[in-house]
Amino acid sequence: MAGHMDIPNLDQACAVVVHPVPDHAAALIRQLKAIGLTVSHAWPDLPASAITADFIFYDTDMGHDAQFPWEPGRAPMPMIALVGTEAPGRIEWAARMGADALLLKPVGSSGAFSALLMACHSFDLRRSLDAEIKQLRHRLSARQTVVQAVALLSAQGKRQDAAYDQLRQMAMAWRINVEDAALRIVENANDEGSLRDSN
Amino acid sequence: MKRTVDLGVLYSSSGTYAAISRAVLRGTLAGIEEVNADPAWEISFRPFVRDPKGKVDRYAPLCADILARSDARHVFGCVTSSSRKEVIPTLDRTNAMLWYNLPFEGFETSNRVIYNHACANQHLLPLLSWCFGNFGPKPYLLGSNYIWGWETCRVARMSVEEAGGQVLGERYLPLGDEDIDTLIAEIESLRPRFILNSLVGASSYAFLRAYADLGRRDPHFTAESCPVVSCNLTEAELPLLGDAADGLVSVGPHFCSSPSPEGRDSSFEIISRQSVHTLAAMLAAQGDQPFESFIAEKGARFGIDPATHHSTLGVDVAQVRNGVFEVLHHWSDVAPDPYLTRPARHPRIDRPRLSVVS
Repeated sequence: MAGHMDIPNLDQACAVVVHPVPDHAAALIRQLKAIGLTVSHAWPDLPASAITADFIFYDTDMGHDAQFPWEPGRAPMPMIALVGTEAPGRIEWAARMGADALLLKPVGSSGAFSALLMACHSFDLRRSLDAEIKQLRHRLSARQTVVQAVALLSAQGKRQDAAYDQLRQMAMAWRINVEDAALRIVENANDEGSLRDSN
Repeated sequence: MKRTVDLGVLYSSSGTYAAISRAVLRGTLAGIEEVNADPAWEISFRPFVRDPKGKVDRYAPLCADILARSDARHVFGCVTSSSRKEVIPTLDRTNAMLWYNLPFEGFETSNRVIYNHACANQHLLPLLSWCFGNFGPKPYLLGSNYIWGWETCRVARMSVEEAGGQVLGERYLPLGDEDIDTLIAEIESLRPRFILNSLVGASSYAFLRAYADLGRRDPHFTAESCPVVSCNLTEAELPLLGDAADGLVSVGPHFCSSPSPEGRDSSFEIISRQSVHTLAAMLAAQGDQPFESFIAEKGARFGIDPATHHSTLGVDVAQVRNGVFEVLHHWSDVAPDPYLTRPARHPRIDRPRLSVVS
């Protein structure tokens, strides 16, 4: 990850504050407005429209799973936990919901900006790691296909390492990764096979 | 019969940034005198003055002392951001307000502070935009080793990268340090297009004199090809700089169009004076309402943005020519964006960007 932290454009970004007592969140809401966000309040349940929000601030003292219209840890935006009681059970719940940053209550006249920056940073990191893991899983699951493709190519009289080399060169020529090239070769061979069978 | 209102005044008359401090002090005291002398105001201020002598650890105790020994609920004070951050916990405990009348780096909107001077979208960003357009985005960044220098240079670095430029060098000097030879040698060999100077006080004066000498040795280092630009240079410091000030570029909400004797009437001084009048007007209208909720409701009437406690300001980029600031570019009514999260509030000089076609 890059060492520097870009300041995101937050003009008119939407934050939803999920808190039982709106008055107690007044200082937080003031900070968010100073930063440029538009803020709405929700309790106990998030409305369906919250899915388009840019940030969720959620109370951990009174919060529970059913408030959110998504699976725990699957929020499609950065989540900031508002922590009052520091009982480990509550911190555990905050973490399970996917807190990208924490803000301790009572909130005074600072803290929201660093929480927003930290949450954006963690959320982006989490999202890029998820994408990378998905891609690696896909490549792992394609191991068998690669073996099949190499076997097909070496059936034409090549040694295995030469066949693998050829597969890599084909992938480069097609501008796709080795796993996808292997899949193409295997599918192609199967198609030819099925044609042959039907004739 | 006027009602007497205690008012805290917390500025350093000595220390490395004393010239700036004296300007805000002068403005504050002038504002107090004007309000007291004007029968139209129903109040008169009784100042409680304390002098932290430029020592950062003296601010919080002296602020507490003012609030304990007088009925003051408002304090005009602090020059550096470090000292402001020191007094905020005291203000929080006592529900008192600080009126801060100098440019600062932003990233703070305390409920207990009114920020009357510019934040970074009202000084640094417009200044950089002007520099990039006229000299290219290849600066050398220079600052005093505390939050003002760090954050100014950090924002400058981001802007330079965004503009596709390059930061040629970045150095910090401890407050008061005057050992600038290595720095001058480095600038000489790197040959930047402009120098962003966020040094404060004695370090800044030493640097500017040495840079003027460098310019006499090597014509690249003159205002025409490599100016020194700054977000906090005003008339207040010109007498200390003499000829070394010629060609310096600065940015601010106001510059004097004619020579100002003894560095009078800088934006530091004028904004401080005006702020006393603003406070008088607010106290006259406040009634029994707590000041905090009064600002939230009616601050805008007095030019204070209730959301940020900052002001909308004009922005001038100006250059010292024959001892007087000459305005080179002006933007009016720039709304504050202390967190730099609202690009629509970032003034720029619009010009088509030329790209090299190879």
